[in-house]
Amino acid sequence: MHCPRKSRRAVLAYDGEIDPMKLNQLIVVLGTFLVASPSFGANMSMPVNAPASYEAECASCHMAYPPGLLSAKSWENVMANLGKHFGTDASVDPKTQTEITQWLMKNAATRQKYSELAPENRITKTSWFIRKHDEVRADVWKRAGVKSAANCGACHTDAVKGNFSENNIKIPAK
Amino acid sequence: MGIATAATPTELLKSYEAQSGKASPARGEQFFNSKHGKEWSCASCHENPPNHDTKHIVTGKVIKPLAPSANPARFSDDAKVEKWFKRNCNDVLGRECTAQEKADVLSWLMTVK
Repeated sequence: MHCPRKSRRAVLAYDGEIDPMKLNQLIVVLGTFLVASPSFGANMSMPVNAPASYEAECASCHMAYPPGLLSAKSWENVMANLGKHFGTDASVDPKTQTEITQWLMKNAATRQKYSELAPENRITKTSWFIRKHDEVRADVWKRAGVKSAANCGACHTDAVKGNFSENNIKIPAK
Repeated sequence: MGIATAATPTELLKSYEAQSGKASPARGEQFFNSKHGKEWSCASCHENPPNHDTKHIVTGKVIKPLAPSANPARFSDDAKVEKWFKRNCNDVLGRECTAQEKADVLSWLMTVK
């Protein structure tokens, strides 16, 4: 609490002269930090290198969940049991299974907050998911326009883009 | 799973009939709308008639129309067709469908406008 003023001036003003190159570098560094920082964690964008099989095999029945929503171990568990996938047969051929599993695990959650072992391998049973949705009443989840907690896009209007920001929420009235 | 090969609904129907008997659209429609000892029927997700976008009964995910008249991509790739029959028959019947059941359902779907 006692030093910032002087030191900040030292960094930003540099005795009254700002090297434009240095400033550019600083902006890039700050920008990278802000995008990756926890306060911007509602953005879980889909990695651009998703294999086509992810959309074809997984996103026919539910949205293509960004891999960052589960830990590598949880994804491995999900992918090891596709024949009995939350009540349905979602089996794929072995080559596709390997391809999707490797991609999910490589892009899985790394930050401690999101990387717990999900109970029942469900995103919706993780402690962060429950905490984030604790103000949503039970009857809201049952509305026809929502149907299921698996239906992120029902309320998170930009969920398919991996944007779960609180500014992009519209809860269906029924 | 086989290698994906282009097909038409008519070709697929012929191949299912060759492995069983003549298809019955009426039997196919009944099969499609009935439950078979489990929680869901085909119509639980695809609705009847399946000629429009529908929603997955659990997740709410939009499913494109199943009838070839409404969605030309349907029944155009035999590996894909086999994959979905395997998955969905397991969900609805708890077993794989017979060639006769596939022939019946497909023959009915081909009549849906």
